[in-house]
Amino acid sequence: MAAADSPSAALRRDLCSRGIRLAGKMRADVVDLLDAYVEQQGLDASASVEAVEGVPLAAVERWDEQTGTQRLLENLAAYRAFRALLAQMLEEQREQLGEADAGLGRALAAVLLQVSAFAYHLEELLRLESRGTPDEEEDGPPPPPRLSLFEQKLRGLGVLRELAQWAVRSVRDLRQLAKPSPATGAAPSLAESP
Amino acid sequence: DSHIQYERVGADVTMKCGSMDWDAAVTWTANGTDIDESHLNGSYLILKNVDLSQSGQYSCYEGSSWHLKYQTYLKVGIPPKEPVLMCRSNNYPKGFYCSWHLPTPTYIPNFFNISVIHGTKDMVCEKDATPKNRCHIRYLQLFSTVKYKVTLTVTNALGKNFTTLTFDEFAIVKPDPPESVVAKPVPNNPRRLEVSWQNPSSWPDPESFPLKFFLRYRPLILDQWQHVELSDGTSHTITDAYAGKEYIIQVAAKDNDIGTWSDWSVAVHATPWTEEPKHLTTEAQITETTSASTSSFMAPPTTKICDKGAVVGSGAMAVCWTAGLVVAAYSILFI
Repeated sequence: MAAADSPSAALRRDLCSRGIRLAGKMRADVVDLLDAYVEQQGLDASASVEAVEGVPLAAVERWDEQTGTQRLLENLAAYRAFRALLAQMLEEQREQLGEADAGLGRALAAVLLQVSAFAYHLEELLRLESRGTPDEEEDGPPPPPRLSLFEQKLRGLGVLRELAQWAVRSVRDLRQLAKPSPATGAAPSLAESP
Repeated sequence: DSHIQYERVGADVTMKCGSMDWDAAVTWTANGTDIDESHLNGSYLILKNVDLSQSGQYSCYEGSSWHLKYQTYLKVGIPPKEPVLMCRSNNYPKGFYCSWHLPTPTYIPNFFNISVIHGTKDMVCEKDATPKNRCHIRYLQLFSTVKYKVTLTVTNALGKNFTTLTFDEFAIVKPDPPESVVAKPVPNNPRRLEVSWQNPSSWPDPESFPLKFFLRYRPLILDQWQHVELSDGTSHTITDAYAGKEYIIQVAAKDNDIGTWSDWSVAVHATPWTEEPKHLTTEAQITETTSASTSSFMAPPTTKICDKGAVVGSGAMAVCWTAGLVVAAYSILFI
């Protein structure tokens, strides 16, 4: 008979489940935002966008070999970066269009809120493991060079595409974290969990 | 000297008899049969507007000595048309496979070469032993936004052609259909059918990459399907089946988050439970009756034999009058 879950294991599993739902909703909203963004910015949806400096890439090698801690830390770093990037996009949006495209601005703001909430959720998971959360840089990254309007649009496309990928990856990462350990039936510690 | 010569359908073909002079006396054969002189121009064989039936072995013999001077195998065919290429991941996140075929035959041997590029990186597509027109690739990265570009080139002796597919990691994810679909009636429930199935065996990690399912069902006598989408679990109870009607049921699968739906599973048939008199129903029930009995009369299990008020007699001999009639009927049969 499997050992009963410890309270912290049950809490972690609960946090993972809620995180999965948050990430799933976030992804759906990012995909809708991406469609609206492409249309309203007059972009080609199939355009290739070079990797943009400062945008965290979701692509990862040997994903199945990552530990739980690695997963959480990489996710947290990514969503903190997205929080700053989306805030910048929102600012640019308001400068460019003012009130002309309030719908897109509202959608951006809504996704920004979800990204912030998800980052906080990840911090909770890390705190649960007594890992503590890495400090955010006080001043943040240095401001990027001023881009042309077109370059801003392309970067925005890159940001949203990568965010959509991260949302899928986060769901997968949290599912891995939520897996019970085969030995005890309790959730594995983050150091050892795949 | 014997060799192979490839020519296009509709081409005009001229065959020289080796090193024989133009005015030498020769005999040409096709698959051992002499060719009429009307096809000759001196010692040259002229075949105009060749068709597929003219493929075969052509031999040239010196007139008087009947020495074989030249032999060739003519293969008439066509250059390849643009090949059809498909790539799919039915075992995500392990990798994906690509398979191909030609839309029309060429009638001569073809050679296929496939290249896969991910960003700037060349990837190796390992050929499958069977089928021969398939190869598979392991994912080195997951969650990449960089697209994959697959180019298939087909070459034969008469020409070449190619096709290119570009896609991202998520778009080609399509599981195989669910397996072992079973549908059963639910005892004492004339409107229910219990359906169960299993994840496709090719899906490597359903725990980490769960599938969701789509079930469709209809009575055989109707064309309209009912649909149910199920986000977890591998079973479902249909509760609105038409009583007594045979149903056809199928299930499809999709990764919970990405990709497209599988093809439909193999169809299964089932009919909801019906309450029927035993003498009208199954073999199993017939074999349960006593072997001496020739009567098909058997009270259904839910049928009450006795009402309390219909009991005659008392104590050990208490029987109800309806039971008494049944006993009497059997007795008459065996007299």
